[in-house]
Formats: sequence, structure tokens, C-alpha cells
Amino acid sequence: MSEPPLTPETSLPERDGDAAVCPYCRRPFVTERQRALHVGERHDATPSEERTYEDAREDESDELFRLHLKIVFAVGLLYAASVVAGVVAFSLPG
Amino acid sequence: MSRHRLLAALATLLMATVFAEPALAHAGSLGAVSRSAPVPSWLVTASGAGAVGASFLFTSLLTNRDVVERIPHLGGSVPAVGSLLGRTIPAIGSLLGQIARWSVVAALPLVVVVGVIGPDTPAANLLTLSVWVVFWAGYTATTYAVGNTWPALNPWRTLASLSPVDSRPLPERVGSWPSVVGLLALVAFEVLSPVAADPRLLAAAVVGYSLVTVAGAVAFGDAWFERVDPVARTFALYGRFAPIRRTKSGLDVGLPGAGLARESTVYDPDDVAFVVAIVWVTTFDGLVSTVAWERATAAVTAVGVSTPTVALVGLLGGFGCFLGGYWLAARAVRRTAPTYVTTRYLAGWFAPALVPIAAGYHFAHFVGYLTGFAPTIAAVAVAPLAPPSSLAVLSPPGWFGVVQLLAIVGGHVLAVWVAHARAFHLFAGRVQPIRSQYPFAAVAVWYTTVSLWIVAQPIVAGVA
Repeated sequence: MSEPPLTPETSLPERDGDAAVCPYCRRPFVTERQRALHVGERHDATPSEERTYEDAREDESDELFRLHLKIVFAVGLLYAASVVAGVVAFSLPG
Repeated sequence: MSRHRLLAALATLLMATVFAEPALAHAGSLGAVSRSAPVPSWLVTASGAGAVGASFLFTSLLTNRDVVERIPHLGGSVPAVGSLLGRTIPAIGSLLGQIARWSVVAALPLVVVVGVIGPDTPAANLLTLSVWVVFWAGYTATTYAVGNTWPALNPWRTLASLSPVDSRPLPERVGSWPSVVGLLALVAFEVLSPVAADPRLLAAAVVGYSLVTVAGAVAFGDAWFERVDPVARTFALYGRFAPIRRTKSGLDVGLPGAGLARESTVYDPDDVAFVVAIVWVTTFDGLVSTVAWERATAAVTAVGVSTPTVALVGLLGGFGCFLGGYWLAARAVRRTAPTYVTTRYLAGWFAPALVPIAAGYHFAHFVGYLTGFAPTIAAVAVAPLAPPSSLAVLSPPGWFGVVQLLAIVGGHVLAVWVAHARAFHLFAGRVQPIRSQYPFAAVAVWYTTVSLWIVAQPIVAGVA
């Protein structure tokens, strides 16, 4: 078991030569937003990076809300499915 | 933030109802004696899988980075008892340790001798009971429920420490693959040979294992227990899950599984294989004792395949499938997250989350033996050479199935939490960590289904 290097091991597909790269630790990211969030959370961000981070976080909050709605919907489906399963199970003969 | 509060309230309400559903199902199975319609096993399996899926969904609602990072750090550190005593009365701390260590060394040959000259019946032989019930069921449970005491108690390590020979380094390139092979070999031996039914053979196996282990430890020092000996490695992994963990300064006391969520190690592929092997052999151990497995073996042997081949193919094939499935899930994370982190790194980073699954399954499978055989062990230990002819074995009460089910589901739920915390550690923001967990949640649900199906099967009677 090895101690983690400062940045995780990464590999880029050939076509994505222009990935968003963290200016502090050189870790590549798939989207600009991921990089902005990473810089804001893990490094001492400059004021302009701080602003980019706030924007990215706002943008992410909207997506997170939609994701959470989907999750709650999935929980509802799961609940309905288990009710139906219970009804079926208890109404089966034997 | 009001919409988040609304979501939280909604989630709490749904959580109460979803988790009430499986509980109702078990209440039904409890009353199976008086009701005409018991709960079918498929519903129990589906409820368990649903509970794991629901726990993933609810965990996904927890996206406050501070909370996610703080929970594993709940608890505190205390200085080790040995060093506490050692500071006040220097001799006592080490003396207690030495007494415990050497009592285990003394007990080992005694139990082996009793195994050879004691009764033939495995359920009345102290050696068989000690190895399977006291050691493999009982002691193993303490390594994840309390803490890993094996490095201190390991009799083979104590014996090897007497050796005046200097140990040489174990080659780096073998990694910890020997322990993976060793674990699969031990389980293959247990399943293929009549070792559980024959105390003499078990005595020979214990002597053989002792010789190999002491020789290995003399030759390679502690590296043997860290990278080769499958028993010591299993306990070390379970110890990472345990609420009490040894650190350099003393003891860390925290929530079960917190150590796994906190440790910042990345497992190498050999370590990933070992973790997967532990989970799989624990499941396989349960699988081979089911009536369904016996029937399947009978069907396959009827067409001319030998029984050992079937068991070996089952053991290695299942291990391969599970390892492959886990690796594919790690590869899928690159797409769902999305991220450029390599598959190898992702597989190694999330591997600690598998340990609670193994612990939960071990508990479900073995705690019944421990409580069931407790009166037998007491009676046999009093008169090991001439045990009473009628030995009491407790049969588990009807609700015991619920305990088994809760242990398995609980192990998977803890695994989901550990993976969630590790995802927040690896990825930035709040959406990417959740997305990274989709493939692993699918694997967890699938594996719960398999495990619960096995536990729900009728079991062929026997000690092991």
C-alpha cells in the first residue's frame, strides 16, 4: 500500500490535449468548473481565482439541486416499488 | 438555502417510510409460525438491495463538505494501555503483554495434541472447535468489532522473534500477491479437504501452517506478516475498520469504519486483489455450505466433472468475476464523474470501502456458530479428552435471520458511507463526488443481492 502522491495519477485521452490544468499542482480536469472548484477548495486562490470559484460554486449549486430532485424522485420510485413488491408478496398463495 | 431545507425535510420523511418497509417485511417473517403466508425470500433479498440503494441515495443528499469530512474524525485518542501502565510501573505493562503472548504460544501445542488424542467427532473435539468457532468465528469478530490485537498475540510471530538469525528483505516485486494466493489456497484447502470433519487432518494442517509461518517469519521478519501470511493480513484489514485503532502515539477511538474513510493510502493492485479476495472467500464459505451449492455440484459431477474441480472453478471464477466487476466499476467512474484520474488509482482509492462488506458478511455468517457452539465449547474445554456424550448446541432463534440480514445490509451501508467520504476527499465540489459513486453503488447493490440470496438458502448441517 503506497502513500498517495500529492496529485492522483491521471491519464488523458489522446484527443483531449487541452484539458483544464490546475496551475498549482498540474492536475488535469475534464471541465473548467472542476478546476475552478479544485483551486478554490485545495489551494490558496488569488482574488480572481476566488471569484471564478464563487461562480463555479453557484453554477454547481443549480446542478446539485436538479441532481437532488432526481435523487428524491428515485427514492420515491424505490419506495413505490417496495410497496408493490410487498403487496405482491403477501397476496401470493402459500 | 430554504430549498435545501425543504429537500432535507422531504428526505427525512421518505427515509422513514423506505426503511420502514423492510422492517415490516421482517416483522412478517417473525410471525411466520402463526401466519399462513411467510415472507418469500426474494422479497427479503429485494428489500436488502433496496435498503442499500436507498442508503446510497440518502448519502448523496449529504453534500456539506465540512460535515462529510468531520464525521470520520469524531472520537478521540487515548494513550495505549500498555504504555500507560508502563509509565507508572514499568515492569507491569510489558509483563502483562508477555503473559498474554506466551499463553497463546503455550495453548497452541496443547490444543493440537488434544486434537490428535481427543475424540474423532469434530463437534466434540477441542481442536476443531477452537480453530473454527473460537478462532475463526470469535477471534476474527473481535478484530473488526474491537481492534486488531493479532500483532501482539500472534503465537507464530512470538516464536519467530526468538530466532537469532537476521531476516532478509522480501523482494519488492512480489508485492503482496503471495497473500492473495495464500488466502485462496487456504480456502481451497478448507473446502476441498475433509479438514472440517477430521480433527487429525486439522492437527496436521495446523502443524504444517505453523512450520511454514515460523520459517517464513524467521527468514523475512515482519514483512512475512505484512505481505505473505493471509491470516495476519486479514486481521490487519479488519483492524482498519475497527473502532479502536493503534497509532504511533497510542490508541484512536472512533466510529466503526472511520479509519477506512480517513486513511489517505491508495491500495496497489495486489492489495485491491486481497481485499476483493477477503470479501469473496467469506461469501464463498457461506455459498459452499448451502443446499443449493450441493445440488449444483451433484448436477455437474453427474456429467463427469470431479467435485474438487467444481469447487476450484467456483472459488477462482467467482474471485475473477468479482475482481473484474470491481475493476470495470472503477473504469466506469472515469466516465460518470467525469475525471482523468486513472482506473488503477480509482480502484486503489476506493478499495478500503470493501472492508465493511467483508466484516458484515463475516458477522452474519459466523456469529451464529459462536453463540450456537458456546455451551459445547464450555463442556468440551472442561473435559477435552472425554467430553460428555450428549453435547448441547443452541439452535438460533427465529429472529436470528433478521440479525444476519441487518449485518449484511449494515456492512454495505457503511461501505457506501466510506466510499462517499473518500469521494469527497478525492474530487472537488459536490456534484463530481456523487457522480463518481454511481458505478460502485451498482456493484454494492448487486453484491448485496448475491450475499442475501446465499444467506437465505438452507444450510447443510455441520461445524464448518
